Amino acid sequence: MKTESMWRRRSVSTSRLVAVLCVVSLYFPALNGASIGPLPEGEVPPGKKLMVIQPHHDDHTWQYGFGGLIAKMTAAGYKGVYVRVSNDEKDGGMQNGWGANDVSNYEDTLDATKNLGLSEVISLNWRNDHMSSIPHIELRDQIILLIRKYRPDVVMSYHPWGNYDRNPDHRKVSWAVGSAVWLAGLANVRRDHAKLGLKPHQVPFKFYSHRSDYGRGYHPNVFVELSEDDLVRKAKSYRLHKIRVSAGAGRQTREALDAMGLKIPALDGLTDEQAHERLQEMLMHWVSKQRGQENGVPYAEVFYYMDEWHGVPGLSDYIRESAVER
Amino acid sequence: MTLLLQRTTVALLLAGLFLFSAGPALAEGGKVVLVITADASDYVLAAGGTIAKMLDDGATGYLVRVTNDDKDSWELTAEETARRTREESEKAAKILGFKEVESLGYRAGELGGVSPTELRDRILFYVRLYKPSVMFIPNPYAEYVEVLDRFYVGQAAEDARRAASLSNYQPPFAVVGLETHVTPELYYYAQPFDPRRREAESTATFVPQPKVVDIASTFAKKLQAAQALKTINHSMAMRIKHRLESTGRHLPLLDDIDETSVSELVEINVRKLGAIAAKDTDHTQAEELHYAGVEYQIPTKYLQ
Amino acid sequence: MKPLLAILVMMLGMLPAMAELPVVDIPPGDTKTFLVIHPHHDDHSWASGQAGLITKLVDAGWTGYYVRVSNDEKDGPHGYPHDDMVNLFEAREATENLGIKDVISLNWRNDYMDPTPHNEIRAQLILLIRKYRPDLVTSYHPWGHYDRNPDHRKVSKAVGEAVWLAGFANVHPEHRKLGLKPHRVPYKFYTQRFDYGKGYEPNVVVELGESNIRRKARSFWVHRNVRLNGSTGRRMRQLLKDQGLAIPELEGLTDIEAHAWLQEWSMYSAARKVGGKHGIEYGEIYARLGEWHPWPGLTDYLESNAVEK
Repeated sequence: MKTESMWRRRSVSTSRLVAVLCVVSLYFPALNGASIGPLPEGEVPPGKKLMVIQPHHDDHTWQYGFGGLIAKMTAAGYKGVYVRVSNDEKDGGMQNGWGANDVSNYEDTLDATKNLGLSEVISLNWRNDHMSSIPHIELRDQIILLIRKYRPDVVMSYHPWGNYDRNPDHRKVSWAVGSAVWLAGLANVRRDHAKLGLKPHQVPFKFYSHRSDYGRGYHPNVFVELSEDDLVRKAKSYRLHKIRVSAGAGRQTREALDAMGLKIPALDGLTDEQAHERLQEMLMHWVSKQRGQENGVPYAEVFYYMDEWHGVPGLSDYIRESAVER
Repeated sequence: MTLLLQRTTVALLLAGLFLFSAGPALAEGGKVVLVITADASDYVLAAGGTIAKMLDDGATGYLVRVTNDDKDSWELTAEETARRTREESEKAAKILGFKEVESLGYRAGELGGVSPTELRDRILFYVRLYKPSVMFIPNPYAEYVEVLDRFYVGQAAEDARRAASLSNYQPPFAVVGLETHVTPELYYYAQPFDPRRREAESTATFVPQPKVVDIASTFAKKLQAAQALKTINHSMAMRIKHRLESTGRHLPLLDDIDETSVSELVEINVRKLGAIAAKDTDHTQAEELHYAGVEYQIPTKYLQ
Repeated sequence: MKPLLAILVMMLGMLPAMAELPVVDIPPGDTKTFLVIHPHHDDHSWASGQAGLITKLVDAGWTGYYVRVSNDEKDGPHGYPHDDMVNLFEAREATENLGIKDVISLNWRNDYMDPTPHNEIRAQLILLIRKYRPDLVTSYHPWGHYDRNPDHRKVSKAVGEAVWLAGFANVHPEHRKLGLKPHRVPYKFYTQRFDYGKGYEPNVVVELGESNIRRKARSFWVHRNVRLNGSTGRRMRQLLKDQGLAIPELEGLTDIEAHAWLQEWSMYSAARKVGGKHGIEYGEIYARLGEWHPWPGLTDYLESNAVEK
């Protein structure tokens, strides 16, 4: 017979974790969005080089991507670089000033992307949240230069047609990426690059994504299955950005659970900061599981994928059917 | 660029020859004067007398006021300021003898954010529409003019005058009947902020030349036009009074601010501006301008 | 001769040849507050100004603030954010040495300011002008068209408008909600580097004393990130030695101390040269715009007829 004390304080089984995380998610950005799936399965494309181009230090790993896919591709042998377009000066308190935020966020990016298997971080340092007035072509041409230097087979970025993204840096950068990935393949675009020995290069495969909690959302067209290992690395990279972890948030979460007579056993014995780290990792697990369930696999991420023949829609089927190995 | 220069030179040469052959006829009638101003007061104070002379001699005058002066008032909203200044600027222009005033309505003090080519092409429209013989524009080369709107408008107007003569600029205008036009004479005006305003940087072939114009005959009109800008004048008087009072001073004239005292202040200002311009000349009242006429950009040997 | 000394001598040679200018004192002040508005951390400290003027104002009881408009990320060898932080730190130290109360950094991107909307920078400056209500603003010359530095041109142009537009109630009327009233800055002291292009036309000289120059000289090299290194001191000494010369004052100093000494000497020398052209010992030259500058037709009348209340 259950005593009153037993009713008052219950341990939470794994199956209840989902409900708890729904409460917990009050303390995180709204992340539900519409149910997405089942979608066709996307595969890791043929190729060896990957470039992730994002405005901010931590845009490589959110619940909507790209951490899992990056981990999957580097595990499959891809080498990759991360391009941080802004200086992240606004992401953090003002106790130590903008420059300190830039340094701190940059250092976290080095750790987090290394954990995913990326070898380098290139920072363009445009002013965070002041990017609207940057001439589009200036930014685009920086990206073209980098594409021609690294010659990536795959580029990942925010969705260039994510018009409802409320973050102006996201819109600015994705718009520049959206034109750079194909203009880099045209010899008459920035012919001066040839003087450096850089030849034109059109990026064949693009994976675009968008935050699920922004406005109208977007329409992904593939899911990518993730392994446990991909997930572990994704989850860790998420919380390696110290700006995402705070003792205060950990304490608040525990207090909120406690007020409902709940607790998460996995957090027992942890400090508030460690608890929040763990919760952040659990979030990545949960959302990846959610996407997986929608698509008939254990874990997944979803993307808008554009393949190498996207630019010629009238010929893509024909080329796929008729092109043969030499 | 070479082709452009060639075309411009030929166009101006033809204009120059036309001027010489037409001679006195143009001075009396048939002349069109187009004045571009950033704000309602600048052209009046810097060139009002000279313009009035031309209009008195039979020329037809058109004024294009680019901004709406909405900031230049004391304790009025921007919208009310713009409304009043529009009325007053049209009154002032009428006193000087203008036929028509076009107000483009750009917000005062905001031209730094407007595309220069947008401004240029707005002005170019009027150059091709009115086909002026003479243009007056703010001098963008005058230094120490804190009202940067005058710089932006001057730069755009100078470019518009050049572009108006070339068919590759705004081909759609030709579709609606606005053909290219060469404006033979150009006056740059500015109030005397620049201490080097009388120095020409080079000869007449290469740069517009300083020119002092006697305005004794039209001083009264100029003054009357300046006094018609009541909102701007009141704003000037109040700002001066405020500055004085905040530093423990006062000007007896402005102890009571009313129409009479403000008018008197304006008269002091206009007279002094005329005296500054007349310095080292035989004139009592004058205006200092920079003039680009037939000699400008046409080598001397062609003129002979 | 290649080194800094040669460049400095060349710069001094480019000092505008000018007739003797009137020596002016600091203007009367109502709030006795002044703003120094510059794009970069060290723009206050050049031979062309304004460190001497700053010390003179502070000695007379004025309160000054330094507004650094850019983030100085390009100035130094440490990478963008570190250069930003180091240069800001040194700006605080250098301006504190002159008596400036605080440094406000707007952090616009160094050497990428061209596309920044002019009105955005100007709006920030108008807000600061209305908050501090300075009697005097000093900056680069808004009509210094030949200044090769794009940040200088950008900021000075914004200053040139902000100083008077801040006096109009219909410009950013929302400031009233913060209790900030319109304020037109009455006195402006503009300057420009001597070694840039056509130069400019100053109209006044400010007389400085030994104490002013001493502080100016020190503040120049306190920007160590960009102005002080041992290798330059060593190279200068070697160059002199190669020509059989030596500067006795450098004996016994380390290379970095020697460089600091030379930097200070350059400030004394420039101020002495300016002073010598204008009949005083030390000076800084400026284009001064007085309180009645906007009304040239009324300047004489106001100066003659305005009286104490």
